[in-house]
Amino acid sequence: MANRKNRLLEKSDSQDQSAREIPPVSRRDFLKAGVAGLAFLAGGVKVRDMFDMVALADERQLPLAKGVVLVDKRLCSGCRTCEAVCSTYNSQGRTSSALARVILEKDYLRGNYEANTCFQCVEPLCLAACPVEAIVVDTKSGTNARIIDPQICIGAEDCIEACGSVFTPPRPRFDVERGVAIKCHLCFGDPQCVKFCPYGALQFKWSDDGVRTGYPIVKEG
Amino acid sequence: MNGWAGKILRVDLTQGKFEIIPTSDYVPTYIGGRGVASRIYWEEVPADAGAFDPENRLIFVTGPLQGTMAPTSGRFMVAGKAAQTAPVEAYCRSGCGGHWAPELKWAGFDAVVVYGRASKPVYIWIHDGETEIRDASNLWGKDPFTTQEMLWEVHGKEARAVTIGKAGEMKSRLGIIITDSGDASGQGGYGGVMGSKNLKAIVVRGTGSIKVARPKELMEAVYYVRSLFSSPSKPGSPFEPSEPGFKYNIWGGLDRGQLTGAPGELWTLCSDPKSGYERLPDACFACPIGCRSRVRGPDITSGVAQCTQSNMYIESIMKYPEKGYSKLTWEAGRMADYYGINAYEIHGINPWLTACYEEGVLTKKDTGLPLDEIGGRQFISELLRKIALREGFGDLLAEGCQRAATKLGGKAEELMWVLYPRAGKFGGYREHWLYYAGFPDGYAIPPLALIWALDNRDAMVSHNFVSQLWGAASSLGYPPNFAEAEELIPVVKPTMKYAYGSEKAAEFFTPDGKGLKWDWAPRVAKRFFERTILKDSYIVCDVAFPFLYNPNSKDHVGDSSLESRLFSAVTGVDMTEEESYEVGDMLCTLERAIQAREGRTRDDDVLRDMCYTNRDAAGRQYRRDDLERAKDEYYKLLGWDQRGIPTAQRLRELKLSDVAEALQRKGVISS
Repeated sequence: MANRKNRLLEKSDSQDQSAREIPPVSRRDFLKAGVAGLAFLAGGVKVRDMFDMVALADERQLPLAKGVVLVDKRLCSGCRTCEAVCSTYNSQGRTSSALARVILEKDYLRGNYEANTCFQCVEPLCLAACPVEAIVVDTKSGTNARIIDPQICIGAEDCIEACGSVFTPPRPRFDVERGVAIKCHLCFGDPQCVKFCPYGALQFKWSDDGVRTGYPIVKEG
Repeated sequence: MNGWAGKILRVDLTQGKFEIIPTSDYVPTYIGGRGVASRIYWEEVPADAGAFDPENRLIFVTGPLQGTMAPTSGRFMVAGKAAQTAPVEAYCRSGCGGHWAPELKWAGFDAVVVYGRASKPVYIWIHDGETEIRDASNLWGKDPFTTQEMLWEVHGKEARAVTIGKAGEMKSRLGIIITDSGDASGQGGYGGVMGSKNLKAIVVRGTGSIKVARPKELMEAVYYVRSLFSSPSKPGSPFEPSEPGFKYNIWGGLDRGQLTGAPGELWTLCSDPKSGYERLPDACFACPIGCRSRVRGPDITSGVAQCTQSNMYIESIMKYPEKGYSKLTWEAGRMADYYGINAYEIHGINPWLTACYEEGVLTKKDTGLPLDEIGGRQFISELLRKIALREGFGDLLAEGCQRAATKLGGKAEELMWVLYPRAGKFGGYREHWLYYAGFPDGYAIPPLALIWALDNRDAMVSHNFVSQLWGAASSLGYPPNFAEAEELIPVVKPTMKYAYGSEKAAEFFTPDGKGLKWDWAPRVAKRFFERTILKDSYIVCDVAFPFLYNPNSKDHVGDSSLESRLFSAVTGVDMTEEESYEVGDMLCTLERAIQAREGRTRDDDVLRDMCYTNRDAAGRQYRRDDLERAKDEYYKLLGWDQRGIPTAQRLRELKLSDVAEALQRKGVISS
């Protein structure tokens, strides 16, 4: 894990311009921003349903993602339209649950549905774990999503393992046919799962200041 | 291939062998679903094979849309010789929703054709192109839900399974095939057919994908469909749309979740957040609507149920009106699911038993059932148990209501007729909207009678025609079945014109209001059957398609081009709406050829005598000679002869020459 952390730091310094524009955040800054962030998230979504709040690290070098797809579980019908549209849109028409960057877990008999979305982590372990630095921050579209460059990806699946150490199921997945990892990139600012969710259970949360979600703030049991 | 997975799996349970054939042998000609099933059935099932014989095929088939994001594409069809059709077992079909169909496609197969009979209980395990027949001794006797849980322990939670319960194992003609928490292929008795093959389940798991030819076009079409059927939910309430006045549009009038239950004790509990009872949204794969809901609570059997199961025990509401829809009403339907019993047949059996008891035809002693307690808990639990285990009188009922009543004969048989309206050799299916607003005291509408006479099961299972009437009632502010038929006519004129070509299609009654007008019935029936068979072939759900009534627009005109657009975008095989009807027409004739081979003629396209003596809510009647004239015209439109049998010439025009030759060899048509 230490190595990964180091790589995270190196990467943000060397690769990402906007990383330098954001000064390191102190715990005090977090408390201020955190409260604002919570108020922002509270609109329509029950935060406790989704989050297990833990302490935020004092330092953060990567720019925060500006958007994240969150789920209001109570509205979800388990129809898996999100999975279908995600794979259709992002895998050039190859539709499959296995290729979806949003993973819907459904207890068919008891009726607990969990649409698991990528948190676009504050400290993305996937990004840190990639041996060839194929995971980058999407500054081009302005979402700052953590995205995989398929040209660089060598299919090592380290990102999947790293994410899986904190999140179940791991959000990056492996596209067997193409031999590359895939993950949520917020559809470059217009997440199709949100657009097509018939119930409005998926919501796209945006903040120009960045959203504080995912590791190390959120961990799943 | 775009859309189709490309392979059809054939399973010979007698030999324990698999064979894989290319789907391209059948598509795009027969599209998929019911179309492909009909062709396979025509080729493989001998006319004299019984439903429970090893020669019968149990065909599980998906269509080109399954496994894609096309709305309501979670469905598959089951087809084969139906055990339920009475008195003669015959070709039929039954659809099922849930999440099994896309999983089968992702596993690499469009269809599974099962034949033969295993020497002991088995299940079929299909995963990413691999196939295996496995021992199911430990699953035999288990209910469908326990069975699924046991299968998940072996194959993982992501695997989807279709299973049968006790009724299917006992070769009941009321046996259903069930998946997930209550989605079922109910009519036809295919659970019994599956049981006769010693097949407990088909388990599928796939990580492959289905390729869509034109993803952008598909997404645009789907987004449009979604905008017609769904608006995001109001915060905190999945059953209320955020857009004021928006209708979720189930069959034109009903709302999301409304196909589960009705007002009463249970709903009151579910709407109290402190009660511990909940009603939650639930939908089949890729469905924008979510017609049903999931119900759970501390002392009830939780699960998902649609109108058929959840409203199965209406008698409980009649017995305890103060409770309305009660916990018992709910649990009765769930109990049927646990046994794997066709709840729609219980909709026939219960009123028939009630009538027989009231008329003194059947007693408590004859049946061993507490007939004086119909509507109570003991009655329904004993009834369902006896049917499932074929115990005592239940052994007779497991043959289906029509067969049971016929066997008893006399008055008992007569009391059944009112509930099983198609006479002739191919009945056996309980009434389902032979009249608008219900039977026997709703409104006579000529196309409904013609469609009922011609179909090979309960005709209105495809709700497309009647959805316009429900939609109009709803637009006028009534519950779907509570308007006077005359009131609906002005509302449905534009929609009937769009759907069938003339406003006259909406003129059901003579100007004096005393008689029925039949002149548009044959044309309406033709288009109805084409759309129905296409819907079952692509496959989409009849809750949404064809979309003939839009409750959210001013003129309520729908859009019947949606299915062919989805098909074209997914497969890359361009087909206009008009072209699709030509395929639908061909498939109708192919199915009729199958029926003709099994002995069906116009003499079987008839209703019970009482349908012609009964007067509807406005004093009007269906008349035998009107129906016969409408049949003449319908057969002519389809290119069938006056016996209701496709002509050799028409079959050849439809590129079904081999079908023509086979019928000629058999002497069904002259050469």
